[in-house]
Amino acid sequence: MIGELANKDWDVIVIGTGMGGGTVGRRLAEKGLSVLFLERGPNGPRAEQQTLDAEMHDPMARTVRGYWPKPMHAKINGRNSEFFGPVGAGVGGTSVFYAAALERPERHDLDHSADRPHPTGGWPVGYDQFQPYYERAEKLFHVSGQPDPLSTERDPLLADPASLTAGEQALMQSLRENGLNPYQGHMGVRRKPGCKMCLGFKCPRACKMDGRSAGVEPALKTGKAALIDKCVVQNLHANGRRITNVEAVREGVSLGFRARVVVLAAGALSSPRLLLASTSEQQPQGCANENGLVGKNLMFHLNEVFALWPKKREADDIATKAIVFRDHYYANNRRYGVVQAMGIDASYGEIVYFLNNIFDRSILRHVKPLRALTRFPAMAAVRMFGNAKIFTGILEDLPYESNRVLLDENDRDVLRFQYDFKPELLQRRREFRKLIRRSLRGHRHAFLGLQPELNFGHPCGTLKFGADPKTSVLDANCRAHGVENLYVADSSFMPTSFGVNPSLTIAANALRVADRIAADIFNQQPLGS
Amino acid sequence: MTQTESMISPDQIIRRGIAVVTGAGTGLGRPLSVELAAKGMFVVGLGRHEESLQETASLIGPEQFSFKVVDVAEPSQVITVFEGIAAEFGPVTVLVNNAAVYPRRDFLDETPESFMQSVNVNLGGVVACTYAVLGHMTMTGVGRILNVATFADIAPMPASSAYSVSKGAARILTRSLVADLSDRFPEIVISDWMPGALDTRMGISDGLDPKMSARWGAELALWHDPSLTGSIFERDREVLPPRSLKRRMLDKVLLRKGPAPRSLGQAPEA
Repeated sequence: MIGELANKDWDVIVIGTGMGGGTVGRRLAEKGLSVLFLERGPNGPRAEQQTLDAEMHDPMARTVRGYWPKPMHAKINGRNSEFFGPVGAGVGGTSVFYAAALERPERHDLDHSADRPHPTGGWPVGYDQFQPYYERAEKLFHVSGQPDPLSTERDPLLADPASLTAGEQALMQSLRENGLNPYQGHMGVRRKPGCKMCLGFKCPRACKMDGRSAGVEPALKTGKAALIDKCVVQNLHANGRRITNVEAVREGVSLGFRARVVVLAAGALSSPRLLLASTSEQQPQGCANENGLVGKNLMFHLNEVFALWPKKREADDIATKAIVFRDHYYANNRRYGVVQAMGIDASYGEIVYFLNNIFDRSILRHVKPLRALTRFPAMAAVRMFGNAKIFTGILEDLPYESNRVLLDENDRDVLRFQYDFKPELLQRRREFRKLIRRSLRGHRHAFLGLQPELNFGHPCGTLKFGADPKTSVLDANCRAHGVENLYVADSSFMPTSFGVNPSLTIAANALRVADRIAADIFNQQPLGS
Repeated sequence: MTQTESMISPDQIIRRGIAVVTGAGTGLGRPLSVELAAKGMFVVGLGRHEESLQETASLIGPEQFSFKVVDVAEPSQVITVFEGIAAEFGPVTVLVNNAAVYPRRDFLDETPESFMQSVNVNLGGVVACTYAVLGHMTMTGVGRILNVATFADIAPMPASSAYSVSKGAARILTRSLVADLSDRFPEIVISDWMPGALDTRMGISDGLDPKMSARWGAELALWHDPSLTGSIFERDREVLPPRSLKRRMLDKVLLRKGPAPRSLGQAPEA
């Protein structure tokens, strides 16, 4: 059966099935094009409910669960560390584990203006051009929530949010009394009967909307798409300006695939690695890498995690993901980001995990026995925090060429990158924390991290799009400069990282890219026939 | 979010499916089948001897019981039989791995073949039957597997080597299944149950009445609470894993009680 798929001439091959790959493939299949998804991880049983467990270290056990099998190798501020990052490798990619936050960015995230100058001079495609795709993505992902009261844009297309519990209402009210403007966050959960709000977990039904439930599965239902899992793409072979063969390995067997268009959607840590690995005489630096920018401009967000105690306890006090505010998104002519509830209470497990993460990147990380000691502050924290809600402020990261994804020549399955905290980021971080602290006056709260915490689940920027082929990897349509049938549909294309989760933007852009590809192919047809 | 009427609860899925009891013609297997049927389940009994399965059938009636003759030590037979059960009666949602042999033999009187034959029943049977039901259970995400176990591995008795080894290995299998499945399929509930020393052919003549024990076993087999996964019940009461000294001291310092063992509510007191 795999052989048949390998022999076929596809309209489109999509590499990676996360938020970007799933969405672009669905759209193309719905337009009647034949689509082949190649996914490196397994298509696990639909009833699975695991979370992304960073404490599970065995590569086989990780593979089976749809986690990236190997630890990340990061050089952060010149120091090497290894840790298991929140990266999925299975049908749906990382998105099956996400917390379903689908927030829009703001106009100044894309557009340059005199009031709010853009750090890159603005995206090649502006907010107004993205708007219809945001709306389409919001419908496709059944996004519910309330409009941001501070927004001056046309309201997003949102389904009614879940009704707030008394505890959530009280917390909203007391934030309002502090002059903040909280709203019910935008989430892609359909709340089907029996919904367990699988935030951070694989949802056993098509209720949480992710790259699998809103992408691959509806694509397969059209009958126009096929999926090959456990298929690791190793090389994109080009002849002149076209990708002619996608070389892959599945369970030890080499395979080759052909398509008119190849869409790379392996994620911002993996898509550039595949291009860097695709070297040949014609392209010694890798595919689409004449200017050497592939893998550069890696961005994450900084997570400013804090515990917030409601002013008074409510009987139905449950972990909430519902509350978001953007009062500090842009202030004093600076870019910060959104503040949102993480949907967890301060429980022992979460805090141990959090502290272990800090430990693994600390100077003490080689003294393994010390790691167990994180349990004690965690226990103390639980007693202290009680029913605190955990919030996180997402701080925008800005692009620097020195922050980059690297190809590990010894082991191409390793996610390797180097990243330095720039002084301006640390400065904005201090300001952001101060703003949050000030705005929470009267509420008991405590920041949980001392060091800056990168959000390794939000990588982006490593194949940025732009108008000028000298300073970007992709053109405004997310097609690779110099490779006419290669498109990118994951977060790699983003020249800046915004102050919100990238998920909705990845989905919206994937829809935009799909339209472009379909137009290309349908225009081509007269020529080909 | 609240459960609504249109959602079938895991409990309902369990009860709408089929219960399979291995070793249903003899010992504890017979009253276990009777009790599961009494609690409303359709039971398919597996065993090696048709006559004894017939006898179990005569106690229950065809509307709630059927049987298949199979040797659980033969994996290919087991797979075929379970495929047949699913086709004929519907998905198996409850599996009670009860079949076991207990040859009383000095190790010097065993041969490697005779020893491994016991392993093939007591461990291999559990492996094969569990494997056979997990195909469907991992599709729905819901199921209940109860392994009838013993503490024979803790201090093996003389003339019990094959039994102690194979039953001990079966307990390790339960823990391995928990390691492989519990985070992915929290609603496939897998646990061990030690029925106690019974007055059966395998047990002792002044042991517990198997009927009473079977009531507990049936209740436990239909108790579908994800937190039971990995638990051990002895007769009608949970046996908690030993707590380390450090943990017990910590409990004292924090003035909190350790966890309390659960017991089978409706079961009569022993």
